[in-house]
Parts: sequence; C-alpha cells; structure tokens
Amino acid sequence: MELYHIDLLSRTPIYEQLYKKIVELILKGELKANDRLPSVRELAKELGVNPNTVSKAYNQLENDKVIYTLAGRGSFVSEIKTDSIKDKAMADFDSAASEAMNAGITEEELHGRLTALSAKISEGGNNSDRA
Amino acid sequence: MIELKGVTKRFDSFTALDNVDLTVETGTAFGLLGSNGAGKSTILRLLSGIYKQEGGEVLIDGSEVYSRPEVKERVFFINDETIQFGGYTLKALKNFYKGFYPNFSEEIFEKLRDTIKLPLDKKIDTFSKGMKRQAIVIIALACRTDYLLLDEAFDGLDPTMRIIVKRMLVDAMLDRKLTTVISSHNLKEINEVCDSVALIHHGKVLFSRDLDSVKGNIHKIQAVFPEEYTEKEAFPELDVLHFEKSKSVLYLIVRGSEEEIREKLAGKNPVVLDVIPLSLEEIFIYEMEGMGYDVNGIK
Repeated sequence: MELYHIDLLSRTPIYEQLYKKIVELILKGELKANDRLPSVRELAKELGVNPNTVSKAYNQLENDKVIYTLAGRGSFVSEIKTDSIKDKAMADFDSAASEAMNAGITEEELHGRLTALSAKISEGGNNSDRA
Repeated sequence: MIELKGVTKRFDSFTALDNVDLTVETGTAFGLLGSNGAGKSTILRLLSGIYKQEGGEVLIDGSEVYSRPEVKERVFFINDETIQFGGYTLKALKNFYKGFYPNFSEEIFEKLRDTIKLPLDKKIDTFSKGMKRQAIVIIALACRTDYLLLDEAFDGLDPTMRIIVKRMLVDAMLDRKLTTVISSHNLKEINEVCDSVALIHHGKVLFSRDLDSVKGNIHKIQAVFPEEYTEKEAFPELDVLHFEKSKSVLYLIVRGSEEEIREKLAGKNPVVLDVIPLSLEEIFIYEMEGMGYDVNGIK
C-alpha cells in the first residue's frame, strides 16, 4: 500500500494526484495488466482521505480505460491502456513544447534536444520523471 | 440531505446568520470555514435542533429539525460543551446517550474504548481535555447516526485518534452513507476529509462548492510578455483577482482552469508562463479579497 502514497499537502486535488499516481505505477511497471487495485475502502483508510475522493479517481481511470471494474470483485489494471496514457503524454508534450517555442527556442533546437534525449533513454538511463 | 433555505438566526439585535442557503448531499463530508464568530457553530446548532431559526427552513431529509425527536435521533453533534456531565463515569455517560440513540452499538463502543484504553469507571472530571474529547467521539461513533456534526472537534484530537476517527468515517460513509458536517480552522484536515466546503463570513455564505472545483478553478500565474502590461485591465479576457508586477514579471491570481487560462493567454505570446494551483489557504484569502472583504479579518 506504500506504493500509493501521495502528498496530502500538495496543491493538486487529491483525486488528480491519485489518478496520476496510478498511471505512473502502470508506466513504471509496478502495476501490471489485470493486477488488482486496493478497494476504495482500503485506500481511503490507508491515506486518511474521503472515500468519495478515491472513487472519483477510480471512476475517471475507468472512463479513460486505464482500469476496469468487476462488480463485487474490485478494480483491475486494463490490458489496453497505452492509448489513453499516450494521448495524455502527447498533450503534456505539446504544452511544454509550445512554452519552449514561445520562450524563443527554435524547432531545430527542439529536434536536437529530442534526439539527444532519446539516445540517453535507449542507453538505459531510466527516465522516471515522465507522467 | 441537509438543506438550509433562506435561514436567518438572530440573537437580540445581532444577526448571526443572514438568509443562508446551503445544501449538503447525503453520504458526503462538508466543511464549514470562516473566522471566529462567522456563524459556523450557529449553523451546526440549528442542524442539531439546539436553536430555532427566526426565518427560513432547516431541513434534514425534508423535515424541520427543531423540536422533532425523530429527526434529532439521527444527528449527533460534537462540540466543546457536549461534555457537561463531569460527574458521570464514561459508562454512565455512554448509557445516557444510548437512551437517546436507538442505533447505538455496544460493540463499536467497546472496540474503540479498548483501542484507546479509556477507563470505564472513572469520572469524566478526572479526564484530561484530550481524553474528554476522545470519550465523546467514541460515543458519537457508536451512536451510528446518519448525520455527524463536528464543531472544531478534529482540532483537539491527537494524531492517533485522528487516524482512528478518519478510518471510522470511511467505513460509516461507505456502509451507511454517513453525512458529516465539520467546522475547522485546520485547512489540511478539511482538504483531506471533505467533498465540499462553504466559506462563511459575517453570517453569510460567500461560496459553497465542491472542493476539487474550488482548487482547480483558481491559479497563480507567473508570466513574462513581450509587451508591457501595468494593470489588470490589460487582461479583459481573464477574471483577475489580484495583480502584481515586479520588473518584467507579472504575478496574477486568476479564476479558471489551467487549460482555459493558457488558451486565453496564448494570444499575448507569453515568453514565460507558469500556471500554479493555489493552496486552500491562499484560495480563501484571494476569494475574500475578490469579494471586497478585508483579508486581515479572516485569519
């Protein structure tokens, strides 16, 4: 359950942090397809937060097809989850890239940066601050 | 569901609540925020049937609360004055409440009492302040009411007891759709426990909203633009609550979601644009400022 720890003092809404946390755990491989997530009750008690907040995060994850729920059995990580996660990652990339371009960084410079980054990742540098 | 409709409460010439409307959905936790004397406790006293309003309606699941025992037995109110029976032992106090609350569970009471090791046969007078609070909290949880009203009650509990209470609340919300109304000065607690919050000031509700929408709907912006802007009127596209400028950097407090703000500012070609969510504390200060209230008055 330690896995799910979030920063309760953060300014980001708790349900949003939980959403991101679970996506992050999936991307890092800590949660695999068909793994069972803690129940709303377990997680709310562990974190000391409102169960409705945990439900809200789970509902949104379910809407985005990141997890699925079986009545009476709990919530599980979906098999096909990469699309929605990729869409989100691309949207994050777009906003970071446009901010960079607004700050005067050229398209060529961004290309160079991306090439360098991808070389670094394929060398085995585990880039975990994504998501 | 709790509904206050146009509620006015006066004490002689002092108007404690002025035409207050509030709705609390069943199965949620609702936070009341505001300065001392804002009217938070008055709301809780009306809901527990201690006070009668001069105008408007105070409804629990559609029924007026005042002088209605069948409604009152569904509500437990914890505040500092709840323990007026210093001469009672914990056992006697428990039995006293048990008589009023038909859903009382000896099992829950014993389980909790055992967890925190409160003596059953000692007089409440001999308890420390913290133990007195613990006593009333475990009685309240054992009464298994549909509604639980906590007046600053969290604030006096130690960390272990807070965890116990929070876990009990989780169970009660999931198992029997407990509705909780909490007044607190502790924004961290409110943030963790509540679905919705209302900000009360001078007997009026300044706003009442879903906590996530409160948090997601106001942002601090740090930006640098190619053009120079010296006043908030330069941003008619935004709802600017606060404007500050330091050299070329602008600091704005703006209502709206991050996406919306970024989209609207794109036309001004910002060189730097950081959109940061605010802490709950900052939100209340700027919201009050935005409504023309003296910010120094809310702390």
